[in-house]
Amino acid sequence: MRLLKRFLEQVGSKMVPEVLMIDSRRFTLNEELERRRFGRENLVYAGTYLGRNRRLFEPGSPLLQMLASEEGARKVQLGREAAWLFVCGRDIFEENIERVEGVLELGSHYLVMFDGRCVGYGRYETSAGIHVIRNLFDLGDFLRREASG
Amino acid sequence: MVVSREETGKKFFLNRYLSLGHRLTGDERTPQAIRVNTLKTTDDEISATLMGLGVKLSKVPYLDHGYVVEESEFSLGAYIEYLLGLYSLQESASQYAVQALAPNPGDTVLDMCAAPGGKTTQIAAYMENRGLLCAMDVDRARVYALENNLERCGVDNSLVYVGEATSLDLGTRFSKVLLDAPCSGNYVTDPSWFSRRVVEDVHRNAETQRKLLSAAVRNLEPGGILLYSTCSLEPEENELNIVWLLSNHEVVLEEVDGPGEDGLTEVFGRELEDEISKCHRFWPDMTRTQGFFLAKVVKR
Repeated sequence: MRLLKRFLEQVGSKMVPEVLMIDSRRFTLNEELERRRFGRENLVYAGTYLGRNRRLFEPGSPLLQMLASEEGARKVQLGREAAWLFVCGRDIFEENIERVEGVLELGSHYLVMFDGRCVGYGRYETSAGIHVIRNLFDLGDFLRREASG
Repeated sequence: MVVSREETGKKFFLNRYLSLGHRLTGDERTPQAIRVNTLKTTDDEISATLMGLGVKLSKVPYLDHGYVVEESEFSLGAYIEYLLGLYSLQESASQYAVQALAPNPGDTVLDMCAAPGGKTTQIAAYMENRGLLCAMDVDRARVYALENNLERCGVDNSLVYVGEATSLDLGTRFSKVLLDAPCSGNYVTDPSWFSRRVVEDVHRNAETQRKLLSAAVRNLEPGGILLYSTCSLEPEENELNIVWLLSNHEVVLEEVDGPGEDGLTEVFGRELEDEISKCHRFWPDMTRTQGFFLAKVVKR
């Protein structure tokens, strides 16, 4: 819970989800699932996937979409080409950001948006004198997981 | 295992299909198809986006949200919209199984052999992410792909278990069950199929499928609906299994309509009861899809 909480604070979220833990992964249940009694033996996935604990908390896509719908979330909007490079694991040069919601501050975390949907998140940093959004997680992770699975 | 030369190979299987009334060439193929994920978008929105990217789609008339990809510069798995879960790659006939099951938001649904999850995410879409959707598979490695699909498609109402479906008991009874059974497959989606398959595989799979069918009925509530499907063209895995099911369990068949043909009522010279015609078959020469079989069963 500590890593998830730290992650939510980093991206400026006020969300306090009820968490179900399965190994290193974190889930939250909607009201209908919450009401039901179900067996835990051999259960590997439940409800809405929030992410998993590694060295840092690694958010899942559903959590990112939930964060993107929160009022006041810090976001950078990208065009298709920059968004594609981002989901391929690349950082984003500041010049490729089409719009910022919030204020760009070095060291702060931002949801990375394309066409109104969240494709990942990153931290605004300086790299070799250039301002970038450092890629911390992107949706290309699905393909990378399938390739490594 | 010693396999008779006569019970394998392209000629052997094509002759079997000929005796079932279909002169197939063995070269039939199915075009790539997508299914719009209505949990995240609409048909109009994603069609317009993909068409703007140069993808030519045509609506599959018998599917609620299915489109054939007529032309595309890139694989449909290589667009951001795919990663965002706005659509899934899913063959047309295989989309029909869940449509025939017709899950509703109030249902309690079990997907018995769920990985890699194309049909599970489709069930969740019909359920509008409400109710309870239990998905199960025996193969942990394949369940990772299922989990990825649930995450990508924004499914919130599922519980996923790893285990043997034949001994399944989750302590609840389901209003609907999908048993898309492991089967011998068919040559339309696998060009090496004829050289890999022998008729013994068909018999072995049919045995396993009967165990799964028994488990499916056991986990249904009275009046509940089981949709049994395979992508096999072989009657042993299809009509003959349903004949067995009807005589060993308290169930009745419901009609499945659609493109293709009714279930076979004559198989290799054996007359089956007329009831079996309520099952349904997609034949590759008729439907521009892979071979597919569906039976809708109601528990008494």
